[in-house]
Amino acid sequence: MWTRVLARLTTLVLLAPGAQAFAQSCAMCASSFGPNDPRQRAFNWSILFLMAAPYTIFGSAVLCLVILYRRGASRRRAPVIELPWARRAGARPLDPEEA
Amino acid sequence: MTLAGSLAMPHRAPSFRPVERTPPIPNAVVAIVVLVTGEAMLFAGLIGTYLIFRISAPDWPPRDLPRLPIPVTVANTLVLLASLAPITRALRRLRRGEGAGLARLLGTSAAIGVLFVAVQGAEWARLIHHGLTAGSSLYGATFYLIIGCHAVHVVAAVVWLLVLAALAWLGRVTPERRAGLEMATVYWYFVCVLWVALFGVVYL
Repeated sequence: MWTRVLARLTTLVLLAPGAQAFAQSCAMCASSFGPNDPRQRAFNWSILFLMAAPYTIFGSAVLCLVILYRRGASRRRAPVIELPWARRAGARPLDPEEA
Repeated sequence: MTLAGSLAMPHRAPSFRPVERTPPIPNAVVAIVVLVTGEAMLFAGLIGTYLIFRISAPDWPPRDLPRLPIPVTVANTLVLLASLAPITRALRRLRRGEGAGLARLLGTSAAIGVLFVAVQGAEWARLIHHGLTAGSSLYGATFYLIIGCHAVHVVAAVVWLLVLAALAWLGRVTPERRAGLEMATVYWYFVCVLWVALFGVVYL
């Protein structure tokens, strides 16, 4: 008798959080708010915004870095190697102090 | 020169001129871009929350709560945007190799930022006096959360600018050591542009 009551109470306690979660439903479930509920529209717009935001923000950051990289790469000088036979041939030294 | 003569010449190794290897993008700029990206995601989440409350509410703002002061905030927005001019001029001067007047320009930007925060604080005090508090409604809670979060960022940026102004005054901000100013400029631009977006979402 008591074992059966305890088992039923335990079952109810275990199912209670699930029932509460089911009642709250999912934010993305369009049918949970009814046909003309403004919350449905609100969640839709918010989901669209939050879906676009990461792509926009990270895309802007990557674009910014690409532009900075190209500007920086164009300013870089090519490595110059001064060859001894070019100096002997009378070429203008790269460093004016060496002249 | 014969082959034997060329072989008899003493061997001279080619002299390599040391080339300064600087990355195309300074590491400091990459760091601040990453930081700004994370901050932008934080505010995107806050705006997403705000949109849910705003669109789902039958009346927004609620009828029994005071309206936000739009004219004062527009003027305050222009003041904040005006603060971009001195810091931009300071960075350009430093890139040209001129270090004169940096402290004054950075101090001007910081002072304008302080003015912005002060006006915001005065408006907040007036709104609280009229009953719009963080606990009065979702409207007040989201308003103070988003605008307050931005105000914290402005205060942090102002402190940063003041430190840079002090360093410039001491002559420790030079064309060779301008990474701090580059980072602060990116951050200050982010704070100003973010405010324009928040103003459009929250106030209008």
